[in-house]
Amino acid sequence: MRLPLALLALVLVTGCSVDTSAPARTVERFHSALAAQQDEAACALLAPRTAEKLPDPGQTCAEALRALRLGAGGPVTGVQVWGDEAQVRLAGDTVFLHRFSDGWRVKAAGCEPRAGLPYDCEVED
Amino acid sequence: MRRIKDNALSLTFLVLFVLALGGQAVAGTFQFNDEQLVSGGEPVSVLEYVTSSNFAVDVAENWQSEYLQFLLFIVLTVWLVQRGSPESKEPGEEGAESDRRQLIGPYAQADSPAWAKVKGVRLWLYSNSLGLVMGAVFLGSWLAQSVAGLAQFNADRLADLQDPVSWGGYLGSPEFWNRSLQNWQSELLAVLSMVVLSIYLRQRGSPESKPVGSPHSATGVEG
Repeated sequence: MRLPLALLALVLVTGCSVDTSAPARTVERFHSALAAQQDEAACALLAPRTAEKLPDPGQTCAEALRALRLGAGGPVTGVQVWGDEAQVRLAGDTVFLHRFSDGWRVKAAGCEPRAGLPYDCEVED
Repeated sequence: MRRIKDNALSLTFLVLFVLALGGQAVAGTFQFNDEQLVSGGEPVSVLEYVTSSNFAVDVAENWQSEYLQFLLFIVLTVWLVQRGSPESKEPGEEGAESDRRQLIGPYAQADSPAWAKVKGVRLWLYSNSLGLVMGAVFLGSWLAQSVAGLAQFNADRLADLQDPVSWGGYLGSPEFWNRSLQNWQSELLAVLSMVVLSIYLRQRGSPESKPVGSPHSATGVEG
């Protein structure tokens, strides 16, 4: 069992088995949908709990997302994937994602860093 | 049947180890899936769980501490004694001992291991092979703990909307040292208890104990 653990260690240190393109693509689709005012398409890319918590009573997810007026994301500048969690940095946004059985979904978007604290996000679960 | 009886101690521990590891995998999967439901994630299979960093770090952190315990016990008992303990040599016998007593080189016997009969690097390696292997497994497990722990720690940080940290950053984190030290303290207490309690207490028939009638002052006597 030590060998598999050592191999796991090597794989994780080198990061050679981590696919960073899939969460980046999801974020690009999310921000493209927002830019094209296809808010329902953007909502479909949110994690279920995030989509559920986003609207106020009597509001749809798409209406809530539109009202937030998230800024343009811009090009991807960095991706980190650890387990089923990912962070995609864009020129104008930082987005957190979770991997579900049918793919990556946005957990939080419109995030601003806060020193020593979790990011402050416009959209989060 | 004779072969099983001759190896009953090893086989029993092997079976108990496999059962305990299997039980840990199943119980860990249930716990992980409970946490997944709370955080809005999806449940995983036992196979997915045992290949996750969560399982790896939990296994590795316990392995490293166990092998560290035996490494320290093996090496420190060369140089340090405890009067009255069956786990210790007699006071005055501290050190690596003579070639004659260790049955090496010219004092090796016909059935001594081959590397006990030679000189140089091979003799040194074989003379320290138990400690070296225990030390290698300890370091390998501790490295695995650090890497698997980093993966789990960073997944937790991302889930909490925080930036991930580097491997170096994780090695300096309270999380890494809390995991390591909480295991080390219990292993060190267990060895201390074994060394000291075996001075005064007995387990009839066990080679880990002195004979029941052996005086408390008798050192290095195993029943």
